[in-house]
Amino acid sequence: MKEIEAREQPSSAGAEQASDGAAPVSKAALGRAIVVTSGKGGVGKTTTTANLGTALADAGKRVAVVDADVGLRNLDVVLGLENRVHRHLLDVIEKQCVLDEALVRDRVRRTLFLLPAAQNREKDDVPEAAMAALVRTLQERFDFVLIDCPAGIEQGFRNAVIGAQEAIVVTTPEVSAVRDADRVIGLLPPEMSVSLIVNRVRPALVKKGTMMSVEDVNNILRLALIGVVPDEKEIIIATNRGTPVIDIDGSETGAAFRRIARRILGESVEIPTFAVNAGLMARIMSTLGIARS
Amino acid sequence: MNAKTFVITSGKGGVGKTTTTANVGCALAMLGHQVALVDADVGLRNLDLVLGLEKRIVYDLVDLIEDRCQPRQALIRDKRVDGLFLLPASQTKDKESVTEEQMRDVMRKLAAEFDVVLIDCPAGIEHGFRNAVAGADEAIVVTTPEVSAIRDADRILGMLGGRRARLIINRVRLEMVKTGDMLSVDDVKDILGREVIGVVPDDEEIIDTTNRGEPVVLDAGRRLARVYTAIARRVLGEDAPLPSLEDDGIWNRLRRLIGSKA
Repeated sequence: MKEIEAREQPSSAGAEQASDGAAPVSKAALGRAIVVTSGKGGVGKTTTTANLGTALADAGKRVAVVDADVGLRNLDVVLGLENRVHRHLLDVIEKQCVLDEALVRDRVRRTLFLLPAAQNREKDDVPEAAMAALVRTLQERFDFVLIDCPAGIEQGFRNAVIGAQEAIVVTTPEVSAVRDADRVIGLLPPEMSVSLIVNRVRPALVKKGTMMSVEDVNNILRLALIGVVPDEKEIIIATNRGTPVIDIDGSETGAAFRRIARRILGESVEIPTFAVNAGLMARIMSTLGIARS
Repeated sequence: MNAKTFVITSGKGGVGKTTTTANVGCALAMLGHQVALVDADVGLRNLDLVLGLEKRIVYDLVDLIEDRCQPRQALIRDKRVDGLFLLPASQTKDKESVTEEQMRDVMRKLAAEFDVVLIDCPAGIEHGFRNAVAGADEAIVVTTPEVSAIRDADRILGMLGGRRARLIINRVRLEMVKTGDMLSVDDVKDILGREVIGVVPDDEEIIDTTNRGEPVVLDAGRRLARVYTAIARRVLGEDAPLPSLEDDGIWNRLRRLIGSKA
């Protein structure tokens, strides 16, 4: 198939694993379950999940991306797979179908699978224990399970977090997003490994002093920084088309997501950073009740 | 007084509910109305920050619901605009600690004291959404011209219990509409099938004003101030014209500077 030829396989080990798609893993080790969360909506959780999933699949990994936003799903749209969704997460949990019937295979990346959310159900319909068990099952079959968390901190948030061992907190350099991220970090289990993506950074605004820098943000949140993603209009185009932005030539956003995927895989890749603005920081620090060290 | 109560909602997060609530609320107060803004995002409040009132919070919505204070104690008066008040959300409680009946009750009390009540709804369609909608007469649905935002808006339009719902289309980039990379206002209107009472251009001014806690509408010279004032008039049923979306390009600026009518 043309699609399979089009897929690049930089690592030989990865290529070998990838050839059988989502077949059961023979090795004993479980895949990594990572929840992508933020508190505030619209900061880029779904875009991050879609692009990291895609980039990890390009690296030869078997990846399941799980849409935990029951009732307001969008990961299918961002991946351009909405017309292939037949079954969903709740069907699997309620044993209306087996997992393989619900998993939607990506058209281009044959090791990337989407587990869609139900659109006409509620988040309260998902029992936390069943969600944890489902994620565990996915971990047995995939190298990575990326869970796209809904906005807010209600039942949908708890369901998305329950099965994960790692979290990626996505925020933007805006007071409200940072405040919500701070709140969410406090709600994550203490044993969870948590890293930070600062999304939609506009270097020009940072220089002008009207936007917080990445250092400003992480002085407040104090997490392991795993990525900085610049703001550009390509992301809107990509989302509307259902194409991951990493596939758009020359996109800086796409390049940033590819770097983050490499960092997730353990590579050491440099992260760009920007200048600091003291005045804006003082207000934000005091808002969040943090004394500047 | 018997205020009309509006919930500002969207389904999807980050499309501009809080910014819209703050600016339309400010604009309504500047037009001479008594306005209460209610932050219904219990646990993830932000309307206080966008209004720059975060340091003046003593009591909140949950205190009021649980009778620990009087409405006057919980309402924060904005010192910049006469007639503008904020009822902040609780940050430490969760949304499940408030019932729909309690919200209706509080909104009824507020309606007796104000001309307009705007309720800033949380993202999603869980308890927080239902609580925010419960106390409202009408809805204003904020969306952006993006597939995911429109899909979520369409979903919540079906969850408003028959309330009248009108649209604000936020973050429109005219240059992208022209190149076919963004849905137009008419496209969005056709898909959602509701009256559009506002179209807000994407403008980086909003990031700065949000971070500083100064709603952009306070600065009457700004393009977005004119946009939000027109929306405020339309919220109350006036037939105010919507300002042109065309960016203030250099030629327009020159024309204004020179005073030419060309």
